[in-house]
Amino acid sequence: MAPPSSTNGETNQVLVEEKLSVRTLILNRPRQLNALSFEMVSRLLELFLAYEQDCNIKLVIVKGKGRSFCAGGDVAAVVHMINEGNWKLGAEFFSTEYILNYVMATYPKPQVSILNGIVMGGGAGASIHGRFRVATENSVFAMPETALGLFPDIGASYFLSRLPGFFGEYVGLTGTRLDGAEMLACGLATHFVPSMRLSLLEEALCKVNSSDPAIISATIDKYSQQPYLKEQSSCHWLAIIDRCFSRRTIEEILSALEREATNMVDDWISATIQSLKKASPTSLKISLRSIREGRLQGVGQCLAREYRMVCHVMRGEVSKDFFEGCRAILLDKDKNPKWKPSKLEQINDDMVDQYFSKVDDEEWEDLKLPARSNLPVTAIAKL
Amino acid sequence: MRKLMDGHNFQDRDWLFGLMIQSKLFCPKRAGGRVFISPDYNQTMEQQREMTMKRIAYLLDRGVFDGWLTGKGAEAEMRKFALHEVIGMYDHSLAVKLGVHYYLWGGAIQFFGTKRHHDKWLRDTEAYMIKGCFAMSELGHGSNVRGIETVTTYDANTGEFVINTPCESAQKYWIGGAANHATHTIVFSQLNINGNKQGVHAFIAQIRDADGNICPNIRVADCGHKIGLNGVDNGRIWFDNVRIPRENLLNSVADVLPDGQYLSAIKDPDQRFAAFLAPLTSGRVTIAVSAVYSSKISLAIAIRYSLTRRAFSLAPNEPEVLLLDYPSHQRRLLPLLAKTCAMSFAGNYLKMIYVKRTPQSNKMIHVVSSAFKATLTWHNMRTLQECREACGGQGVKTENRVGHMKSEYDVQSTFEGDNNVLMQQVSKALLGEYIAAKKRKAPFKGLGLEHMNESCPVIPSQLTSSTLQSSRFQTDVFCLRERDLLNRFAIEVSQRQAQGESKEYAFILSYQLAEDLGRAFSDRLILQTFLEAEATVSDGPMKNVLGLLRSMYALISLEEDPAFLRYGYLSTENAAAVRKEVTKLCGELRPHALALVSSFGIPDAFLSPIAFDWIDANSWSSVQH
Repeated sequence: MAPPSSTNGETNQVLVEEKLSVRTLILNRPRQLNALSFEMVSRLLELFLAYEQDCNIKLVIVKGKGRSFCAGGDVAAVVHMINEGNWKLGAEFFSTEYILNYVMATYPKPQVSILNGIVMGGGAGASIHGRFRVATENSVFAMPETALGLFPDIGASYFLSRLPGFFGEYVGLTGTRLDGAEMLACGLATHFVPSMRLSLLEEALCKVNSSDPAIISATIDKYSQQPYLKEQSSCHWLAIIDRCFSRRTIEEILSALEREATNMVDDWISATIQSLKKASPTSLKISLRSIREGRLQGVGQCLAREYRMVCHVMRGEVSKDFFEGCRAILLDKDKNPKWKPSKLEQINDDMVDQYFSKVDDEEWEDLKLPARSNLPVTAIAKL
Repeated sequence: MRKLMDGHNFQDRDWLFGLMIQSKLFCPKRAGGRVFISPDYNQTMEQQREMTMKRIAYLLDRGVFDGWLTGKGAEAEMRKFALHEVIGMYDHSLAVKLGVHYYLWGGAIQFFGTKRHHDKWLRDTEAYMIKGCFAMSELGHGSNVRGIETVTTYDANTGEFVINTPCESAQKYWIGGAANHATHTIVFSQLNINGNKQGVHAFIAQIRDADGNICPNIRVADCGHKIGLNGVDNGRIWFDNVRIPRENLLNSVADVLPDGQYLSAIKDPDQRFAAFLAPLTSGRVTIAVSAVYSSKISLAIAIRYSLTRRAFSLAPNEPEVLLLDYPSHQRRLLPLLAKTCAMSFAGNYLKMIYVKRTPQSNKMIHVVSSAFKATLTWHNMRTLQECREACGGQGVKTENRVGHMKSEYDVQSTFEGDNNVLMQQVSKALLGEYIAAKKRKAPFKGLGLEHMNESCPVIPSQLTSSTLQSSRFQTDVFCLRERDLLNRFAIEVSQRQAQGESKEYAFILSYQLAEDLGRAFSDRLILQTFLEAEATVSDGPMKNVLGLLRSMYALISLEEDPAFLRYGYLSTENAAAVRKEVTKLCGELRPHALALVSSFGIPDAFLSPIAFDWIDANSWSSVQH
């Protein structure tokens, strides 16, 4: 299969630094904010699998070049692929990406991701499943997919559903931005290290020469700081988030939020309601169901389910919102997507069900995850 | 397979699982890299009771109980069943406390009451603005409701009923919710009007005010600490000439006019009493189904444990053998697994006939719910014990759930009808049908007895494996047992009557045949519900596994009931062939064991550490954290 045409074949999109028993992987597409291309996810997967077998390697560090960690999967390239050829090329991108996520989630050696900048969508997939996530004062986390006509994939139905209370539904449905302190507070990040200490941290990690998570954690602790939550942080709204985002359906979530809004006027509530109203209605419904199912499943099952969903999204049988979203937000940038169906009540349960079923195509198969020999009966990820 | 097992409302169940898993009120604990939720049974009785109320408040706030009493139709009732089942999977006390308020108190208003009661009480009950309980049992009378001693008279001058506890044995006992929280209660009492004893009726009485103070002329005491279910505050109630308005009589079956005149559409007191008790069926349905889920949880834990735990090698220097690779261990667990699957289908069938009930089907529902309640709850206690033992020492840890569930579920064989009494009622009903059909010289109709109109099934002398696994043979031998036992039972009872015994006493003396018959009826009906469920599945691997399970269910029943040999439905050669086939089925089901317990749809958080990586869960590093 040909790599997407946006790749510059001369520059290495994943740089590798070898220092003793540590390998540092650097996402190197700074002009695209390190958005993951097909070449990058393939290369990362290759490297991770190779390092697993190499007993000289004890620790993997992942970071981004420039002021971003990774802004997401290169979905614009996927849309381009689909418009040029067919959706199966896009499927290949996603299946490679999700297999990478699975390998990271079930990795027997610790992965430390340095999230010194934007970490969104596919960037979360390449980091949150690892054992250690280091946030900084520059971190900006988001799962913005519902605004794009997609849904929080890359195993997000696994880790979002395991955030405290119903914060995961809030993050996944509204696409809200979280800073480093908020990431630490809700568990998306395991440590917070001020950016000026990062090079010292990396040096120390290279000297540790251990795979023992307790030792790695203690090492990062030495450079860590307890950050303060900003006053307007959504983390202060957890009680309302729990009350509203635990409702059974999107419609009930919205009416619960609107009820709260009558009791107190606050920017936070109106912003939350607005982001839900602007998102693709189809995306909202399938995202909610995905997170709810993911809460009760292992990470492998979550990724397999998300693969089915993303294939249906790309095939555009129920809704073409993904293409409209990419057009409005990424390509034409008018930020005014015309969703179809345009209203929540136009989307019934059967339509939602379709996204979760097998794809009706002779050649299509469910996501094939590699067998992991070091695991007990079901896979455990590290959140 | 999960859809077939659970039957209905899958997304509602998953939503409620999520509500509980994500809330600190449900005591999440980390072990072996996973989160489990379970009540803290090490808390005091008072603390456990308070936690139950807090959990109810949370679930109420999240809209779980919306429509439980104001909703109408089969769909609403099935959703209610589904949500109540999920709650029971977390904690039996929580399910019982809610069952008392919604199914017993709420159900009494719905089914014993009329419009004025519905308008006044249902909405407030659903919103938990009042807290209801159900005062039927007394110190001296549990199973025999007709013998209760609380007495109510009518004062025509004031238009009030007067409820009184005339002696100590008449005190209300085991009244869930009464000891601490309930504000209102249904009171069952003898009604004496103008010197006439009109029998047992139901009234509404307030026992606490809105501030929680006990009302005048009411005395309440605590039943005290129990062997399990300490999240429910069971209380005792005495009524000292408590006056209630005339309107508080629940008057769907009978009424009293302001001048004291007694009216009832049903003239016969026996029939009136039966009409009265008909609504209590829903309690039996929820209990039967919750017993199945309890069995599912314990089997999921024990089978998963047996797939990771090893003991003894067959030869030196070889790895130790997995527990579930021992034929003896398979024999302990896999038949119980098959029975649980069978009873899961039976439970779904029971829910369906209940929500589709008509006045004509009420009697059949009464008999089936009695039979299934007894059978499924007894099966659950047996399964819990076996699973506890199969988990060895780990089964003794409360954290591992299996062992503790024994004391939580023990009461199921007693409340809402003692199992033995229920089964006797089943055989009494069958006998009644038998005698009525013979008298009418008509074919058997109703209670599934139609098979008795056919010629008697013949069991082949040689039972091959394919015969044993055929539904034809299995149905034949179950029908043969039921038919023959019903005949024998009828004969024995009439013989005793011919010798001078009263019909009642003859029945009591023939208790052994009655027990055998009740079991035969129940097993046969469960097999039929299994076959019906199997028929909805198209050919393929799932249907094959269902066939194996069904055969295991049928054949283990043949193995375990001495009646087959005692009365000659099977020869000793037949019985030997059955025994061999059971062993063969164990081997055939072994590869499917994990997939089957996964199809129960129980989230990991509702199982326990021994179902996963129990070595990591017990590691020193987890002690340190």
